[in-house]
Amino acid sequence: MRLAGFYLFAALVALLPVVFPDNYYVTVVGVTAFFNIMLAVGLNLLMGYAGQISLGHAAFFGIGAYVSAVTTVRYGWNPWVAMAAGLVLVWLIANLIARPILRLKGHYLAMATLGFGIIIHIVLVQADAFTGGPDGLSGIPGLVLFGWHVDSDLRWYVVAGAVMLLYVWLSLNIIDSREGRALRAVHGSEVAASTLGIDISGTKVRVFVLSALMASLTGSLFAHQQAFVSPDSFSFFFSIELVTMVVLGGLASTFGAVFGAVILTFLPEFLVVFEDFQMLIYGAILMLIMIFLPRGLFVTMADRIGPMFAGYFRQGIRET
Amino acid sequence: MGVLLQVSGLVKAYGGVRAINDLSFDVKKGKVFSVIGPNGAGKTTLFNLLTGVDTPDTGSVNLDGYELVGRPPHRVAACGVSRTFQNLQIFHNMTVIENVMVGCHLRGCSGLWSAALRLPSLLAEERRIRTWADEALAFCGMEDLAQARSSELSYGVLKKLEIARALAAKPRMLLLDEPAAGLNDTETLEMCELIKKISETGVTVLLVEHNMGLVMDVSSWVFVLNYGSCLAQGTPREIQRNPQVIAAYLGGETGIE
Repeated sequence: MRLAGFYLFAALVALLPVVFPDNYYVTVVGVTAFFNIMLAVGLNLLMGYAGQISLGHAAFFGIGAYVSAVTTVRYGWNPWVAMAAGLVLVWLIANLIARPILRLKGHYLAMATLGFGIIIHIVLVQADAFTGGPDGLSGIPGLVLFGWHVDSDLRWYVVAGAVMLLYVWLSLNIIDSREGRALRAVHGSEVAASTLGIDISGTKVRVFVLSALMASLTGSLFAHQQAFVSPDSFSFFFSIELVTMVVLGGLASTFGAVFGAVILTFLPEFLVVFEDFQMLIYGAILMLIMIFLPRGLFVTMADRIGPMFAGYFRQGIRET
Repeated sequence: MGVLLQVSGLVKAYGGVRAINDLSFDVKKGKVFSVIGPNGAGKTTLFNLLTGVDTPDTGSVNLDGYELVGRPPHRVAACGVSRTFQNLQIFHNMTVIENVMVGCHLRGCSGLWSAALRLPSLLAEERRIRTWADEALAFCGMEDLAQARSSELSYGVLKKLEIARALAAKPRMLLLDEPAAGLNDTETLEMCELIKKISETGVTVLLVEHNMGLVMDVSSWVFVLNYGSCLAQGTPREIQRNPQVIAAYLGGETGIE
């Protein structure tokens, strides 16, 4: 069954707070994990499937978060309107930069996305009249969903969990479609893809914009959940962390991205020493994975544990 | 039988080297048209110019009224031109059937959003694409391998997979770049049969190949390319007897390259 892995995962997400109510790791760290999963799943569409690296993904996450934060705190906008405004702005920016940026390949593409991420970060720090500068912006209102206040850890778990599952579902759907195959074809061989009628640059732009929009919405939710944003959350280092999540789990696997995001969310919780050496350890993880498990931890494990298990979780090998 | 493809005055220079030098020829509908010539004669360059992978300096390529020069590869493909590659260009990150389903890209129209939400229209299209891909695979005798990972297949099978993928696009013209290179005798024979079978379905085939046995067997017209220019053209029989061709190409000690 196509979505067996998804249902299993959804059941797990739904059951965790029931089995462990009021558990810090479930309802607090869990929500952070959900945000990371959303970002990693979006980035994986671009990086894992279409093969286009982005070292500036945190920027779109940041734009979404800051649009929500600034417009609600400074101008008193309704959070939902703010969220939509963030999406519109990110859509515009992503469309604007996608074509020139995605003409680049390899290192050049990495450098261009890196530059974009750094520019956005600088803007967040410097435009302090709006953004509050390095100190950030606090007092962001919570979300109200049809009169239902999302104001407790558990409620945020429900909201973020639902959106996260939606992302995973969307990603699984896209990959298993004409457009998704076109994405993977672009990764596999651009010249073959183009001679089969696939518009290479259009395909890249569409997935770039989609993953940017996914990050923006995640950013808005993040801002409302934290009630505080500061530029630190959207720095170059977080972009690298996102790339590490995707690579750790396994490129071109939606559940690989989920797995990588969960691991990298919980690891710092358990390793206190991680705090100071975070970037060092992420760098080491990236290197070790690329050298020893180029297909990623999750995909490799899924293959080892057995074809049945792998068949459920790995993309693109089952009967349609 | 009308003319499907009309090439006139095609020129492509790389630096000072004219890889394709004022080339003009017609390809008749439904026939197998072979291009032969020594290595470096410009055969693959010619294919790249015809499919939009590369742009000629001057000249025109006309496919049944559509000017192909100046179109990017995906627009050339949309005009009904499909091709395979001398160096395999398989999507190794996909299964065999998925490779062929990518070949059906032009026959579908669903976009990102209908895919994301898995709308009923998308599901219906997916089923059609799957059927077409199955047909193309079966046509090439690979139906057993549908679920195999393409990275696990042998070279000869991958050559056929490229053809199945190209056929899945339902092209009017199929360009085969050295389909028999690297194949053993049995596989070459199979390839020969496959090319004949493709031609019988009415698809015009443009073939670049070094295996003279195969070329002479399947072609109805042979075009000899030498240093980017036309050395001779004619039926296989005429070409085999042409003294210029024999001198330039077939006359070496090994006979056939």
